[in-house]
Amino acid sequence: MTEPTRVYLDHSATTPVDRRVVDAMLPYLTERFGNPSSVHFFGQEARAAVDRARRDVAALIGARANEIVFTSGGTEANNLAIKGVCESAAGSAGAAGEFHVITTAIEHSSVRGICDELEKNGWKITRLPANEDGIVRIDDVRAALQPETVLVSVMLANNEIGTIQPVREIAALVKETRAQGHKRLWLHTDAVQAAGRIPVAVETLGCDLLSLSAHKLYAPKGTGALFVRRGVRLMPQNVGGHQEREKRAGTEGVPGIVAFGTAARLAREEFEQRANHERRLRDRFEAGVSERIGDLVFNGDRDRRLPHLSNISFRFIEGEGLLISLDLQSIAVSTGSACSSGTLEPSPVIQALGRNDEISRGSIRFSFGKDNSEKEVDYVLEVLPRVVEKLRQLSPLKKTQRMEAAAAD
Amino acid sequence: MPYSSTFNDHLENPRNAGEVVDANAVAEETNPVCGDRLRLSLRIVKGRIEEVGFLAYGCAPTLACGSALSELLEGKAVEEALQLTRKVVVEAVGGLPSRKQHAAALAIEALRSALSRSGRAPAV
Repeated sequence: MTEPTRVYLDHSATTPVDRRVVDAMLPYLTERFGNPSSVHFFGQEARAAVDRARRDVAALIGARANEIVFTSGGTEANNLAIKGVCESAAGSAGAAGEFHVITTAIEHSSVRGICDELEKNGWKITRLPANEDGIVRIDDVRAALQPETVLVSVMLANNEIGTIQPVREIAALVKETRAQGHKRLWLHTDAVQAAGRIPVAVETLGCDLLSLSAHKLYAPKGTGALFVRRGVRLMPQNVGGHQEREKRAGTEGVPGIVAFGTAARLAREEFEQRANHERRLRDRFEAGVSERIGDLVFNGDRDRRLPHLSNISFRFIEGEGLLISLDLQSIAVSTGSACSSGTLEPSPVIQALGRNDEISRGSIRFSFGKDNSEKEVDYVLEVLPRVVEKLRQLSPLKKTQRMEAAAAD
Repeated sequence: MPYSSTFNDHLENPRNAGEVVDANAVAEETNPVCGDRLRLSLRIVKGRIEEVGFLAYGCAPTLACGSALSELLEGKAVEEALQLTRKVVVEAVGGLPSRKQHAAALAIEALRSALSRSGRAPAV
């Protein structure tokens, strides 16, 4: 009936490494192995490659090369941004308890975790809610701003539902506040999911710090970057070396950085083509699902979202059961279900939209990539209705609901 | 794959899925922590389980354990059914990681609850 090859629809988790990226990085694992800090030929060869990559990553987001700090990934970039700004503020002017950070309830777990830790250490944290479409309200940001606020951290696009946040409007607000004499206020945005999928330009956005991850852009895991606008004061989180303009000590991961640079260049050159392709697949998928399956809840604003992502709750069934059942049919997706994450609470992101427990637990994220095909989408459209129907046949919730509906008639 | 082929088979081809129409022992148990549910319906004739049906909502282990339990119960005497343990259910799905053991516990809980409601379980 169908080909046995696996269909990967989890590109928001990670992407396969592009062959061209592999080819670019391989020499830096072998003959071009130098340490960029070395003065001899080997060192300078590696230094030149890192500089090239820095320019390519900067170009992806319209930044200057000297505003890019390479890290081990998106999580480290978020740590450096948030803790770096906060510790710098606290270090220069008193204790943590006097300062305040604004973030949202729908941030990536790394940002949530960092803010939780700051709170334990005495920082005041405001976590803004999202509206039922998964978008933060600019008025809430305005209302939350205090004289003690040193950082606003709002993601550019959400990792579970793909909704695009009003970072540009928040930046205007931050600038306005700064102009009123509140000089030590910065705006950080986690653009790990957004980069390469929607236009990301730091000047247009107006953010001061911006996090990136290589492995969401068809490069290997283990490399990320933080954009730090000139003038932003940051306490380094890694010390013991002069690398990355004193902002991140440690010998540069040259092969990973070279790969990231190449991937960033390709993402820029192929931007339209990829975004259009992924949007076409996603729309074909959503149209097909709507036609074939009932009792769906689409999570997140249908317009203001990333083009490659679809998050759907299938009523009456649980996400992890559906994920494993799809995996048995060679389809890889992800879920906001608690069973899957190893925690006991379903996705805080979907819950933040005001969804009940059952809808939160039944959410599945399908995220498309540049190498997916229409044929793959059609295979999923053939398998998914069958699997959903089977699990619904099995669900006591469905039965209860049907009984309630019958009683109401 | 983290699960055994037996497990996957239960998931893909659940045994006794559904509700027994003229059941005389029914229970629906919910795991209060994660919200997983298992509904078990049995038709018991002269101390023997003649027919069994299960419905489940939850993670894959909960679905697989429901199916495996239903298979274990087919044709069993109530006295034997009462001897079933979580361990037997875990073995019947080819093993479970430690953090998924609760799925088998829910299955046994639903079984004991159904049998006690049928008035055939010994007083505890």
